[in-house]
Amino acid sequence: MLKMHKVRKSFRTDTIETHALRDFNLEVKEGEFIAVTGPSGSGKTTFLNIAGLLEAHSGGQYLLDGDDVSGLNDRQRSRLRNEKIGFIFQGFNLIPDLNLFDNIDVPLRYRGFKASERRRRIDKVLQQVGLAARAKYLPSQLSGGQQQRIAIARALAGEPRFLLADEPTGNLDSLMARQVMELLELVNDWGTTIVMVTHDPDLARRAERNIQIVDGQVADLEYHANPAALSA
Amino acid sequence: MLELRPILSALWRHKVSALLIALQLGLTLAVISNAAVIVQERIQQVTRPTGVAVADIVTAHIAPVAKDYDLLQAFRLDLAMIRALPEVVAATVSRAPLTGSGSSSGVQAEPNREVGATPAAIFMVDEHFIDALGMQLVAGRTFAAEEIGEASETTSWRSNTVIITQQLADKFFANTQALGKAIYFSGEDNPMEVVGIVARNLGPWPNSTRAGNAIFLPILMDTQKHDFIVRAAPGQRDGLVKLLEEKLAERDSERVITVKTLEEQKNRYYAGDNTLITMLSGVVGLLTFIVALGIIGLTVFWVAQRQKQIGVRRALGANRSTICRYFLLENLMIATTGISFGVAAAQIFNHFLVSAFNQPPLPPATVASCALALVLISLVAALIPSLRAANISPATVTRSL
Repeated sequence: MLKMHKVRKSFRTDTIETHALRDFNLEVKEGEFIAVTGPSGSGKTTFLNIAGLLEAHSGGQYLLDGDDVSGLNDRQRSRLRNEKIGFIFQGFNLIPDLNLFDNIDVPLRYRGFKASERRRRIDKVLQQVGLAARAKYLPSQLSGGQQQRIAIARALAGEPRFLLADEPTGNLDSLMARQVMELLELVNDWGTTIVMVTHDPDLARRAERNIQIVDGQVADLEYHANPAALSA
Repeated sequence: MLELRPILSALWRHKVSALLIALQLGLTLAVISNAAVIVQERIQQVTRPTGVAVADIVTAHIAPVAKDYDLLQAFRLDLAMIRALPEVVAATVSRAPLTGSGSSSGVQAEPNREVGATPAAIFMVDEHFIDALGMQLVAGRTFAAEEIGEASETTSWRSNTVIITQQLADKFFANTQALGKAIYFSGEDNPMEVVGIVARNLGPWPNSTRAGNAIFLPILMDTQKHDFIVRAAPGQRDGLVKLLEEKLAERDSERVITVKTLEEQKNRYYAGDNTLITMLSGVVGLLTFIVALGIIGLTVFWVAQRQKQIGVRRALGANRSTICRYFLLENLMIATTGISFGVAAAQIFNHFLVSAFNQPPLPPATVASCALALVLISLVAALIPSLRAANISPATVTRSL
């Protein structure tokens, strides 16, 4: 599904070159739920950006679904993001001027679906996240947990194979966080691969596999044989 | 895929700033379309054909010092000298057209009629006037030398023959041949037979209602109001100005001699129109610039305000051209709203200008052209900030702003 081999990412100013990722190796298999942890500045966000094609890596090889994404142009990367990857952000990142229906509609329009198909998918994901009755609400009219559920619905509407979550519960209280986590686990049960960046060790333990990034490299891999048992 | 409905929703939530820019565009359209029609009319007026060879003509005025000066004799001697110059194509003595100064009278197609006279400029000329003015004779003949009478401002002068402009011929003898017919000064019974028709001559007052109505009489008039009208050979005009001054002074130094090009005099006549054209064009340019700045400012502000949102859209699959198109489309919707209002405002403003200041009515094509120009300008103004928006990295979405 996702394979990174000796991936490097460096940022250069006039005088300093900073290596955010160094010889980064990782393979994620179809249907996995992986948690990525690490201290601040360790390269978690850079990894997420490169995995989600939000920025390009400086060197090494990144295969997404078996295809090398190194030489792709902006249009091709945008299309891949739209078709294969769903994003969930810590700050929800819903568009405040659009109601919930239109927010979920944004990536579907970029995909070029017809109006009837878009409506069908939006209705379906709104049902799945339990907010079908609030389609015409603005994001500001919802609680944090509800906004994150809409962000998950937006990520799921395009039926991506791969979900990238950046601190999805970081802005939520514990009850809301648990609901969102349960929703992510449900989505993973439906077959969607999930990579979740988090600071929270409790959440990380609920994932199938936990990787820790330190100084831009994978420092540790930890497998949980029965993640469901941990969440109980 | 066009995002019309989401853009409308977003605009609705920022309706005050969007409506202010739309209003500015609309008012600009109302002003510039009306200014454009005035400028257009004035340009047409200033650049329309005069019927005479303005670019080649030099006029010379002589003001003798002596009281008993024989002006007619001076005219004859001076003309003979001028015509002998190799730089000269032809010369006559008369009043120059396009200067704002001349004579006019009412003329009729029937004798003894006073009501409904047609005002026409009167030029008293010799047999060389058509060549000297560079006019085109379209029918009949010019005057013969022996037809030229002499007269003074204090004696009665009348003529039995006349040459008229095509415009006057069409007015009096619409669908019939004007040659051989007679015209009369208003209220008089002395017939003047039309012996020739010239294509065009706007007369001394091109901006007046009598412009283009002109009659030419075969009279050498003893008056200081007359000038030598000298047509130079191609490319010789400017040199001829100095040469004429020298030669006229050489022949008789006891007089004040003023030599000018007809082009100078025409430009002086049209100075007001040219100033109006320049000023209104400046106002149009300035307003358009201000509206473009407003659009740039608003788009830059919106792009800065929505950086995170642009990052989100990029992360969700929008490529650079999708983002650029979004902002251009948003701008186009504002421009369309403003222009719809502006078309109505332009008509109302024009109605006021027509009724209060006798300005020309606003043709739909002018409004349409101005509207199209404003739409294009607003798109160009929005393009640079839109391209900047398109360059916002999708990674913005995961970084704190």
